[in-house]
Amino acid sequence: MKWIPLWMHQLSSPPTFYRFASVLRPWCIALALILTAVGLYGGLVTAPADYQQGDAFRIIYIHVPSAEMSLFIYGVMAVAGFIAVVWRLKLAESVAMQSAPIGAAFTFITLVTGSIWGYPTWGTWWTWDARLTSELVLLFLYLGVIGLYHAFEDRRQGARAAAFLVLVGVINLPIVHYSVQWWHTLHQGTTVRLFGPSKMEADMLWPLLVMMLASKFYWAASLCGRVRTDLLSLESGKQWVRALAEREGR
Amino acid sequence: MMPGSLRAACVAVLRRDLLLAWRRRGDIALPVLYALIVTTLFPFALGPNDDLLARVAGGVVLVTVLLAMLLAFDALFRPDLEDGSLEQLMLAPQPLALLLGMKILAHWVSTALPLIVIAPILASMLHLPAHANAVLVLALLVATPLLSLLGSVLVALTAGTRRSGMLLALMLLPLCVPVVIFAAGAVSAAQEGLPWIAPIAWLGAALALMLILAPLACAAALRIAIDA
Amino acid sequence: MTAENSPSALLAARDLTFLRQDEPVFGPLDFALRAGEVVLVEGDNGSGKTTLMRVVVGLLHADEGTLYLDGAPLDRDLARGRLLFLAHHLGLKADLSPLENLRIAIGLYGCREAITPQQALHTVGLQGYEHEPVRQLSAGQKKRSALARLLLVPADIWLLDEPFANLDREGIALVNRLIERHVAEGGAAMVTSHGAVTFLHGEPRRLRLSA
Repeated sequence: MKWIPLWMHQLSSPPTFYRFASVLRPWCIALALILTAVGLYGGLVTAPADYQQGDAFRIIYIHVPSAEMSLFIYGVMAVAGFIAVVWRLKLAESVAMQSAPIGAAFTFITLVTGSIWGYPTWGTWWTWDARLTSELVLLFLYLGVIGLYHAFEDRRQGARAAAFLVLVGVINLPIVHYSVQWWHTLHQGTTVRLFGPSKMEADMLWPLLVMMLASKFYWAASLCGRVRTDLLSLESGKQWVRALAEREGR
Repeated sequence: MMPGSLRAACVAVLRRDLLLAWRRRGDIALPVLYALIVTTLFPFALGPNDDLLARVAGGVVLVTVLLAMLLAFDALFRPDLEDGSLEQLMLAPQPLALLLGMKILAHWVSTALPLIVIAPILASMLHLPAHANAVLVLALLVATPLLSLLGSVLVALTAGTRRSGMLLALMLLPLCVPVVIFAAGAVSAAQEGLPWIAPIAWLGAALALMLILAPLACAAALRIAIDA
Repeated sequence: MTAENSPSALLAARDLTFLRQDEPVFGPLDFALRAGEVVLVEGDNGSGKTTLMRVVVGLLHADEGTLYLDGAPLDRDLARGRLLFLAHHLGLKADLSPLENLRIAIGLYGCREAITPQQALHTVGLQGYEHEPVRQLSAGQKKRSALARLLLVPADIWLLDEPFANLDREGIALVNRLIERHVAEGGAAMVTSHGAVTFLHGEPRRLRLSA
């Protein structure tokens, strides 16, 4: 198993990752597009309407994958951020920081689709539902990370500081989640609960799983592109970037 | 008292910051004044309805104190960073976390404590009942050190940046949500005649944990933010 | 230089490099600082003198290379009390008096025997200003009240960043006296200076940084 650390070490060198990402990216884009098409067809056409919510429930094919991605990406940032803070690995800094805007976008989509879904279900665009509130706090956390990253003159220093904030947030998020739930029971808010995906029929479920997979590939493609660009500008003085620029320029 | 010892260093830092706060005692009054102004604005916005004001009083005072503390956070490290005394602190032979803990304590004493003193007055201006007022003070006594400790980590992270008030607010919000929920929960429980000790106990547990963790995190954050 | 690791070197560096945006600010740099010795770090503006000081003292993280203290790789926790850093920002609180500022330094770094803060302030020529707030002192007087730390704090390795800046002729002589005495007592000092003129007495060893 000795090849794993060796492979990781080689991959983490910016020129190697640049080539790796360049190869990976088109495949991820293609898979994301195909899976999205399949998932949306399944979700919007073949899946039956919900007996209670009618066609309104179909927004879960956007809402649930986005919600899942908003947490998944934060998890990835936490792992990359930990590596960035402890080992000061340039690639990890880049991955953590370039993930943040993607995660923030998914969180925003989750909030928007949640409130659109809320209108026919709860009769209001916004309610202080425990899960929606936690998601809103998560959005602030993402924005704080992005803001801190850009507040520094030195980008690598900013990346490390923001990565530290990501780690603080990892400890904070479950606390926010449980305290918001406690707050909610205390104040006896809305009692209508949305149906979790676990109770869904197979016809409804498979497009959801496909969409969740599609969003992963979309994230991978987007991250590859962003990290590639970031590495180019971070390493702009290096030989491999100059060589690349000369080759591409021709 | 042996010079250079742990105790001497802690005393030196604590004494210095309290002395500086005392020399600039006009600055201590500013957050208090700010809290007073914000609280006075609420009746104008909500109308002079005593029942309504009494219902929101606990939450209003809590959020006001939080915002006043937020305004004062910038002064935790920035003056020391600008005149180079933060470097001297970071290079001292004692554990940085401990010295920062002293700084946080001095900052809490000079900014949060005056706010706690004035909080019952603000709350009674909004007609919070007396027994709930006592719970409010208790909640603030536990919640404000917690906020100071949490805030210090974030202030340390922004220490190397340009002026950063808005950014700090954005970063602090997710951290202070649970604190506000539990503190306000205790006050409103007391107001409704329900047992209120549980949320205070939770805050106390968090405070005990943060007393250890936050100075360590603050020291780590500062080393990241200063290192160029 | 050959003796980077020799036991007589209090402080030594091998291949010390610091990068900013992947461009080296200085290095790879080898040097040794022996007991009883002064090293003058020379270089133009922007050649990395202050950065070198900050790396040595541990405020910045060296990208490559190793620092040695007494021949062994430097352990920051053990080294802190041994190093004394006088930076461009003097670390004085403007609202406190020179005496109060010195007491803080003593509290953190400890105090030599047989000298009091008052005596130190007298030596640097600030008698009569002990209780004035530092903000009311001139730039040279501020520098002098920071220099008083050198007399009090028992660190044996001094890192002085532009110690002659802002000082009059008498102040320059004072810095030289302080350094000479420190070195005679077995201490060592690293002093930065930009460009042509150095006020340092004697023939210090030179470490040249180029931009």
